[in-house]
Amino acid sequence: MKLFKDLYQYRELLKTNIQKEIRGKYKGAWLGVVWSYLNPLLMLVVYSVVFSKIMKIQIPNYTMFLFTALIPWTFFTQTVSQGAFSVVANGSILKKVYFPREIIPISIVTSNVITFLISCIIMLFFIFVTGLGVSWYILLFPVVLISQYVLLLGITFILSSVTVYIRDLEHIITVLLMVMFYGTPIVYSMDMVPASMKAILLLNPMTPIINSYRDILFYKQMPNLKDLALIIIVAIVLFNIGLVIFRKLERNFAEEL
Amino acid sequence: MEKTVKEAIIVKNVYKDFKLFYDKANTLKEKILFFKKSNKPDVLHILKDIDLVINKGETVALIGVNGSGKSTLLKLMTKIIYPNKGKIITNGKLTSLLELGAGFHPDFSGRENIYFNASIFGLTRKEIDARVPEIIKFSELEEFIDNPVRTYSSGMYMRLAFSVAINVDADILLIDEILAVGDQHFQDRCYEKMAELKTSGKTIVLVTHSMDAVNKFCDRAIWLYEGRVKMDGPSAEVTKEYLKICG
Repeated sequence: MKLFKDLYQYRELLKTNIQKEIRGKYKGAWLGVVWSYLNPLLMLVVYSVVFSKIMKIQIPNYTMFLFTALIPWTFFTQTVSQGAFSVVANGSILKKVYFPREIIPISIVTSNVITFLISCIIMLFFIFVTGLGVSWYILLFPVVLISQYVLLLGITFILSSVTVYIRDLEHIITVLLMVMFYGTPIVYSMDMVPASMKAILLLNPMTPIINSYRDILFYKQMPNLKDLALIIIVAIVLFNIGLVIFRKLERNFAEEL
Repeated sequence: MEKTVKEAIIVKNVYKDFKLFYDKANTLKEKILFFKKSNKPDVLHILKDIDLVINKGETVALIGVNGSGKSTLLKLMTKIIYPNKGKIITNGKLTSLLELGAGFHPDFSGRENIYFNASIFGLTRKEIDARVPEIIKFSELEEFIDNPVRTYSSGMYMRLAFSVAINVDADILLIDEILAVGDQHFQDRCYEKMAELKTSGKTIVLVTHSMDAVNKFCDRAIWLYEGRVKMDGPSAEVTKEYLKICG
C-alpha cells in the first residue's frame, strides 16, 4: 500500500523519468527513437528468412506467426536487460537525494510498455495489410499485457537490486535471455515440441504469455485460460517477492554504489 | 494527530559503521575466488550512540572538525543511508541539500532542472508551475535560466539548487556545507530567507564551519567529535567552547 501512496505523491518524478527513458535511450543516434522499432523489424526479417526459407518450417503465414510473438518477446528482453542495470546506472543520484527507490525500476518497465504499445500499432498495421485481420479475442490483449507488466516488475525489482551487489549479473542475464529465447515458443509453435520437453517449456513464465498473444492475434482463438490464470498468479507472487527483496537491499544502495 | 507531534527529528541510539574495503569483490568471479581469503574490511565507526531530539521550529547547527560524522548524520536523517543500530524518526516533509547539483541533469536547461529537481522532492507539476517564478527570482538567474546547467559556474549551480530546495514547502530542511560557494550577497539573502522560514515554524538543520553564522542564525548547536556528541546547547555557549579548542 505504501508503494501506491509513494507513487501517487511522486507521480511527477515518475512521469519525467519515463519521458527521460524513452527520449534518452537513443540520444545522439541519427535515427533516434526509430531504432526502438527498426531493431525488432530487422530481427523479424532475419528470422523469417532463416526459418521459413532456409530451415523450411511448415507453418503458413510464418512471418506473421513470428511477428505476433517476437514483438512481445522484444518487450520482455529489452525491459529485463535495461531494468537489471537501472539502479546501478542511477547510482550518482541515489547517493545524493532521497526519493522512493522503486521509482527507478518502475519507470524502466513502464517506458518499455509505451515502446511496446507503439510497436503493436506497427504490428496491427501489418496484420491488416497482410489480410490476417483481427477478431473479438483482441479484447483480451490488455489482460495479457498487464500480466506481463506485473511479471516484468517483479523480475526487474529482483534483478536491479541484486545487480548492485553482483555486477556481472548483467552478463549472466544476457546469456540467460538467449537461452530463454529458444526456450520459448517464438520461432516454433507449441505443437512442434516433443511431449517430453513440453513440461520444461511450461516452467518458463514467458511461454504462456507468448502463447496467449499468439492465440489472440494470430490464431484468433481463445487463449488457454488455465495457463493464463496461472501466469497471473505467478506474476503477482513474483511482484511481491521482488518488492520484498528490493526493499531489503535498497537500504545499502547508497553505500554499495 | 500529526499536528500534536512536537518532535521533528528523533535520533535514538544511532550507530553507523562504514566498511572500508581495500579490494572489493564486486563480480561473481572475485566473490568465488576470494571466498576463502580473508577479505575482511576494516570497519570505521562513524557515529557512536547518537541520541538527539530536534523539535519543530528549531534551527540547529551541526559543528565539528572534518570527519566527525556531521554529513553522515545528515544523510541518515534524509534516509539515503540507514543506521546499523538504533532508529531515526522524522515527522513532516523533508528536503535536503547535501551536495551541489544533486539531481541536476547537466544537459538540461535551468528551467527544466527546476522541474526535475522539484519532482525529486515529491512535487506535482501544478505545484511546480506555481513556484517557478519565485524560484527563478530568488536564484537571480533570469538571463541564464534557459541555458544548460553544465554552462553554469558552481555559484550559479548552488543558487539554483538552493532556490529550489527552499521553495518546495518542506517542514524540515537539511543543509550541508554548501552555502560557502555563494558570494556574500547571496549568502546574506539565504540566511534572510532561512530566518523567514524559521519564523514560519520550519525546522532547519545546518552543517557549517562558520561560527558567525551559527551564532547569528541558530538557536542551538550540536558539536560532534569523533562520532559522539561532545556538546549540545545554546549556540553561543557551544561555539565558545568549540573555538577554545579548535579555533
